Amino acid sequence: MKLITSNFIKCPIKKCDSSLDSYPLSYQNCQLVIKQQDFNANFIKSMLNRLDWDALLRVAKELGNTLLPLNKPALENSDQEEDKEDDEENLNENDLKLLKDLHNLLLETNIIEGEMICRSCNHKFYIKGSIPNLLLPPHLVD
Amino acid sequence: MLPTPEVIADFNRIYEPAEDTFLLLDCLEEQKLFLNHILFDCKKKASPPLVMEIGTGSGVITSFIQNSIFPNQFAIYLTTDLNSYACETSLKTSELNLEKSGISRLNCVMDSVQCSLTSCVVNNSVDLLVFNPPYVPSANSEIPTINGQSNIDQDSGAWLDMALNGGDDGMIVTAKLLDNLHDILADNGVAYILFCARNKPDDVYKQMKERKLQVEKVIFRKCGWEELSVLRLWKRK
Repeated sequence: MKLITSNFIKCPIKKCDSSLDSYPLSYQNCQLVIKQQDFNANFIKSMLNRLDWDALLRVAKELGNTLLPLNKPALENSDQEEDKEDDEENLNENDLKLLKDLHNLLLETNIIEGEMICRSCNHKFYIKGSIPNLLLPPHLVD
Repeated sequence: MLPTPEVIADFNRIYEPAEDTFLLLDCLEEQKLFLNHILFDCKKKASPPLVMEIGTGSGVITSFIQNSIFPNQFAIYLTTDLNSYACETSLKTSELNLEKSGISRLNCVMDSVQCSLTSCVVNNSVDLLVFNPPYVPSANSEIPTINGQSNIDQDSGAWLDMALNGGDDGMIVTAKLLDNLHDILADNGVAYILFCARNKPDDVYKQMKERKLQVEKVIFRKCGWEELSVLRLWKRK
């Protein structure tokens, strides 16, 4: 499971939806593996537009990464430059470094094994062989 | 005709792509312009859509979207299945076909989650949802119950019952998804769901219109004794 996915998944128990604590899940005892991917600055830049930054910060911190800026970075020209084939050159050094760091964190960081815990109901789910398992036991299925 | 992705898998453990799968592929091919329009051209701010396939099985549909519907667009893909072997296979199918098509520049990211329907996905997040449900009418007791501990892979028959049997009218599973559909779709998000005639898709059409979704029957085909169709349900903004 890539780290970016933690931004899209939540506790599957319906009653937890009303609690702010059910998202993001808490990631514990995780075994991480870095799998290299080609870097595409535009892809990461556009992804920033839809990321829940606070959720990302929280998960990154649990996994030992405390280097992200506290507020979602606003990159210059992020709207006009989308059509350019390759605008790595148009980015300043800091922005480029930030995008590379995010690329490494979001797309290259894989959780191979680990636990996902809902902060609302405390149910524990497992990641095995890189696949998060969010199936519920029958008594919790609504 | 856009090419069908290759699948290398053990079809004793997951559903092998068949007429219903191919109908969905043809449907997506016909919808390609529409999808590119609403998910990319109409966006004020570029942000990659979340593309989600439920009950992915072999992953052939998601792979087709990656290679043929959005080959040059940024997108985030998520597949789900109750069967962990299907989750793994969907990732392998994607990788195999992206490699074959030589798409080198990274423009998509994919993960697979073992879960029921869309239960684990954040509300208002899904931009494109595709579902080929277990639509065959059966006794409700023929739908296997699953839980987090059991491994359905090892119970050789259960996964197939799960992939096919839909209980009353074949609608037990699909109805659950329809109940949540408006909540999980993003603004302007769209879902494509396959039905057979015995699922009474015309009733679904009427019901879903009342739930603030724009509904359209986008493809219909007789496949032997089955009459299959796909409904497009659009949370239009």
